[in-house]
Amino acid sequence: MFGIIKEIINRRSLIWELALKNLKIRYSRPFMGFFWTFLTPFLTAINYYIVFSIILRGKVEEMPFFLYIMSAVFPWNFFASSIVCSTSSLVDNKNLIKESRFPQYLIPVSIVLENMIVFLPSLAILIIASLIILDGLPIFILYLPVLLIFHSIITIGLSIIFSILYVKWRDLKYVLEIILLFAFYLMPSFYSIYLVKDLFSHAIFKSYMLSPFTGMLSLYRIVLFKGFYVDTQARIGVLYFFLSTIVFAFLVLLLAVYLYRKNRNTINDYLSY
Amino acid sequence: MTISHTEITDNKILKDKKVSLRAVSKKYPVVNTRSVFNEYVGDFWALKDISFDIAQGEVLGIIGRNGSGKTTLLNIIAGTLSPTRGNISVAGKVRGLFNLGIGFQDELSGRENIFLNGAIIGAERKEIEDKLDAIIDFSELGEFVNMPLGSYSSGMRLRLAFSIIASLDFDILVVDEVLAVGDTLFQDKCFRRLMDFKRSGKTLIITTQGMDLIERLCDRAILLDHGKTLFQGKPNEAVNRYQALLNTDKFYVGSVEKNIELVENTKRWVDENSRSLWGKQLGTKEAIIDKVMFCDGLGCNLDQIKTRGQLKIKVFFTAKNDIKEPHFGIAIFRKDGVYCYGPNTLNDDYYIPAIKPGKGFFELNYKNLLLAPGEYRVSVAIWDKNEALAFDHHNGCYSLIVKGYPNWQNELFKINYKINSLSFISKLIYPIQKKYKYPPDLSLFDNSWGKKLEPEGMGIRFVKLFNTYGEERKVFMTNEAVRFIIDFINFKLKPNDGYLWVGIYRDDGVYCQGISAPLAGNSLDILFPQLPLLPGAYKISLGIWSTKEGRFLMYNHGFGHFRMVFNKHDHGTVYLTHKWNWCYKSNGRA
Repeated sequence: MFGIIKEIINRRSLIWELALKNLKIRYSRPFMGFFWTFLTPFLTAINYYIVFSIILRGKVEEMPFFLYIMSAVFPWNFFASSIVCSTSSLVDNKNLIKESRFPQYLIPVSIVLENMIVFLPSLAILIIASLIILDGLPIFILYLPVLLIFHSIITIGLSIIFSILYVKWRDLKYVLEIILLFAFYLMPSFYSIYLVKDLFSHAIFKSYMLSPFTGMLSLYRIVLFKGFYVDTQARIGVLYFFLSTIVFAFLVLLLAVYLYRKNRNTINDYLSY
Repeated sequence: MTISHTEITDNKILKDKKVSLRAVSKKYPVVNTRSVFNEYVGDFWALKDISFDIAQGEVLGIIGRNGSGKTTLLNIIAGTLSPTRGNISVAGKVRGLFNLGIGFQDELSGRENIFLNGAIIGAERKEIEDKLDAIIDFSELGEFVNMPLGSYSSGMRLRLAFSIIASLDFDILVVDEVLAVGDTLFQDKCFRRLMDFKRSGKTLIITTQGMDLIERLCDRAILLDHGKTLFQGKPNEAVNRYQALLNTDKFYVGSVEKNIELVENTKRWVDENSRSLWGKQLGTKEAIIDKVMFCDGLGCNLDQIKTRGQLKIKVFFTAKNDIKEPHFGIAIFRKDGVYCYGPNTLNDDYYIPAIKPGKGFFELNYKNLLLAPGEYRVSVAIWDKNEALAFDHHNGCYSLIVKGYPNWQNELFKINYKINSLSFISKLIYPIQKKYKYPPDLSLFDNSWGKKLEPEGMGIRFVKLFNTYGEERKVFMTNEAVRFIIDFINFKLKPNDGYLWVGIYRDDGVYCQGISAPLAGNSLDILFPQLPLLPGAYKISLGIWSTKEGRFLMYNHGFGHFRMVFNKHDHGTVYLTHKWNWCYKSNGRA
């Protein structure tokens, strides 16, 4: 495992070139270029404000509803588009893999990096919105880099796992689309977590809180929104969120390393068709 | 058995050997793409037991037909594929040029692609920055380097790809047949650059179809076929063997195992290639054909033979080396290149384990030579076990003359047939032998199927073909009994003034045999007790020839058609019953 991390660090210029290549392809021809990465989330936020806050008058107790949704949608977009792009990445880049000698997993890693770069502007918009609307940021904002690292580890791990599985199991792409859809609507993105609390038994709610998706999302809110931590800690406790995220990140990484070790010599044979 | 691709950067360990392969085999899984997890169905061995070493500063050429495993082998050396079995060790930095630029992106400019491609093949950004000018210079792209790659021609892409590889540092360079894309000027430049590498002690491994390059550049060459090494050694010798392999023209990509299914087409009817090669002697010369003799049934040596007579072809040879599992083949062509018949011991399921150095002969005995009178050419050959490589192949070197009745129409052969509709008495009344005095003029057909003339009162109703059991068929086995029933209308011509002509043609227009029958009644029944036509499609043409007027009153070219299939792979048009015989003696050394 440490060998692989070392390799990632050694080949960082290649990962960077690959991510840069994708970004250049995405943003070199449009006139507005990279500015779109700011413009898109900004317009999305305005859209949410109109629909959810003005028309639907949706409410959560802690903050304006559209801010609540944005905190779920932006990190999720980063996660989901990384996974979807990575899954078929080995097959899409088969010429590259078959003709040069570099570890295959660098391709999903570069795709996650690319999506991360696109994600950062929307994160900035989220922080600014939180600062203006909630009159300041929580002290936990200092933990944002740590949270981003864990989020990336989970995303990278899953990307590697799915990209390797996809080489042999081509149904995976469609299965994943459904799973991602379920995950997005089942985690507390559009509704407050307290709504789920009284619906089911205590055990089910515990496992709901332990799911890494709920955990990541809640951690983002704790880090970004003033007052969210105090409130949540008082009503359900936040320890679960930390635990599930850290454990999940390690499990995913271990599984990714295991799968890669097992398949790296045979992946190329299956790539041709 | 270990699976490893170790890169030893310390040159002291392997001072001379840069690359060394030991019994390297590569298996591709054949999977069922329709099942959920692409289940494994079988194996395809792309390489089998390849072993060789490459020393520092050596240039190795790898040649072989498409699908012989060249690219797989290069991929293994370059480390992009790992061998299923065997060991490979590579000392030093390997660079590979497999395609027109790995990971080239059409949307990016040439300059950006240099950095991307460089990063993919493992160069540091700084190294590329240092060499950027040299790369652009060598590629001769000029201003184009700032244009998107999508606007490049394939030659320009190649120039860019080669320039990047050629300007960066490496120890071992692997080049897969890509250099052919560039124009001659750039090819020369590449060649000079490759020579520079050679002089500066770099190791090169090259595959190409340009045999010229192999002979000029390489120190050593390996000939691959079906994933195995057929030969390794001097480049010109390897190229000669490869040429011999190509000329045999009997290579097919796919399983070497014999097909159990019926052969549908011999595909070797007319062989322009072999005709232009007539008189040439090809092969590796590990065995040499000394003399070829034609004998009749009594064993007398002659160069003329009668139609339907007995013919023995005796071939004397000398084996220079040990030859494993050889096969003998003798083929007869008509003077104009039509392939008559070419049996070999492989198709006849004989197995000859080995021949030791020494002398011997083999003999092919035709009891009944059905070939029509004319001039023929005979090829004789000694093949390796897959009939892929000739040890010696004398292509159309021997002339054979078949004598008999005057063959004005250029028939190909004379198959036995019986006209059933004729009673003994009618045979006396209508002497059909007259036809040789009034042969029909077939020149008006000139290969245009469907050409016809059907005046009132004359015509064809149908042509029906039946097998032994009286079932109507369109497809027959070679040597099956076949019955032709032809129903015709004739109200005009008296039986004595003409005859009905039935012609059997090959699909490609070569006239095989003509049958003349009296115009008695309105139906004709021809029985072939054994129809020895080899697999392929055939056509039947019909006509009523007036001996008085000297022209066809009615004809229909290609009215009927049928196909032949066979369970053997014999080449040619007509199956001739034959027997093999051989004998050899070693000169006692082995």
